[in-house]
Amino acid sequence: MVAKYTTNELMAVTASRLLKDGENVVVGLGLPQIAALLAKSTHAPRLNIIYEIGVINPEAEEMGVGIADPRLWNESECFTSFVGTLGSILQKGLIDVGFLGGLQVDKYGNINSTSIKTEKGYRHINGSGGAADIATFSKRLMIIMKHEKRKIIEKVDFLTSVGYLNGRNSRSEAGLPMCQDIKIITNLCVFGFDEEERSLKLLSVHPGITLEEVVENTGVEFKIPEMVKYTEEPTEKEVDLLRNSIDPLKMYIK
Amino acid sequence: MSKLKTLKEVVAEIPDGAHIALGGFAITRCPVAFVFEMIRQKKKDLTVSQIVAGMETDLLVGAGLVKKLEYSGGSLDRFGRLERINDKIDKGLLDIREYSGMSMSMRFLAGSLGVPFIPTKALLGTEMLKNLIAKNDPEVKVCESPFDGDKYVYLKALRPDYSVIHAQYADEKGNVIIEGPYWDAETAKSAKKLIVTVEQVVSTKFIKKFPEKVIVPSVYTYAVVEVPYGAYPTAVYKFYDYDREMLENYAKVNKSEEEFNKFLDEYVFGTKDFTEFIEKVGGVDRVNKIKADPSYGY
Repeated sequence: MVAKYTTNELMAVTASRLLKDGENVVVGLGLPQIAALLAKSTHAPRLNIIYEIGVINPEAEEMGVGIADPRLWNESECFTSFVGTLGSILQKGLIDVGFLGGLQVDKYGNINSTSIKTEKGYRHINGSGGAADIATFSKRLMIIMKHEKRKIIEKVDFLTSVGYLNGRNSRSEAGLPMCQDIKIITNLCVFGFDEEERSLKLLSVHPGITLEEVVENTGVEFKIPEMVKYTEEPTEKEVDLLRNSIDPLKMYIK
Repeated sequence: MSKLKTLKEVVAEIPDGAHIALGGFAITRCPVAFVFEMIRQKKKDLTVSQIVAGMETDLLVGAGLVKKLEYSGGSLDRFGRLERINDKIDKGLLDIREYSGMSMSMRFLAGSLGVPFIPTKALLGTEMLKNLIAKNDPEVKVCESPFDGDKYVYLKALRPDYSVIHAQYADEKGNVIIEGPYWDAETAKSAKKLIVTVEQVVSTKFIKKFPEKVIVPSVYTYAVVEVPYGAYPTAVYKFYDYDREMLENYAKVNKSEEEFNKFLDEYVFGTKDFTEFIEKVGGVDRVNKIKADPSYGY
């Protein structure tokens, strides 16, 4: 049975369904972490969740303020170093799915998390952290972000993390390992990428959202399939898990 | 021979222009007491390297001690941004070298292994790589692997003059116990001289009960400094949580140079040492509120 749900809940559920049992995922705080935990408590109990700071499979009782928050390290299976996670797990090729957010994403799935161009010049924000490495070495990438015209654009102000670079074969020509799939999950829709050009393509629109709304709120042209699908809705069980066991304080599920 | 030193004496011997690697991560195990003392002693022209920068780096850069910064970005997690660093980058006042988290940690790894460089595919295609190559003394080069001809980024090893980390325990020989994840292990081992500030100095007898917890053995360590609450207001796993109120306040004042300078005047220049700083913010009553619950570690 389909449940009543919020947009954030739909985003978390959509992302969680793209994870398979037994896979290894690198996540950050917020919706990616929520999505991974939901997958683990439903269809993917043997999912391995890895935080770049050096923490594997923790079971947090409280959501933290970031991966440096010891709340997130509660009851872990392993503590290691940055080299132990991003080096000998990620670079070795053992990560199936990397989750990323960002300030901007462009039509080839490249992400900016470093700085924004303003009228007064560049404004530095955060920087890469492990994001660029996660984009380089994960077999699949999932980008979760808010859908705004100034955020999904033709070209990012600063290319922090490589998606399909300049489309077609440019990623492998630049020497990067293959990336099998990139998906962008926003509060309005799910985007994928065209197989040939490797450019932005609409996959599904969230229930209650129109195609026009997606077009209006996107700062770059994208391919639209002949038949536009709706994103599958969460089940009651999924919504119940999110609200009552995964994020009961509603820190990220609003 | 004992490696125990006081914070004042160990900071006094660091020359201007030194290369210092820092071990903190956003809001956890940041060597804040060390940085306060560096600011008090008015060091200058430093090169700072770090994997993910935290509060201590923002303080050091904001106070004007740093000429060159090599890092992969950083934040105060959800509390806010490292706005003193951001401001200096935007104004072109820092020689800035931005990497990814893994490329920075591999540069430290190379330093810790004693090899001159290390190859990786990290950074390929990124704007960080473009900017790093454009510098006139590049620390990275794109080369073909001598084995398969494939394209790699060759990263120059980091060999900081000093690495400074804050840990839970060490003995006077310099065996360092780190509880929780140890993202800073390679940073510590890459240094010419490793300075460790610790919550508690313990006996070697205690160390020998937990050899598996010694992440940095004494061979690497130059100095051990006991500074209880030395990472405050950032968190130290199993000792204390971060001080939410203090970090919220810092994330406000670091947005303006003027407010930041007032913060320095009050808490850094307005106190003679870290003990006096802790007293100033509320002493035992205040730190007791963030004492870790032993069943959780925070």
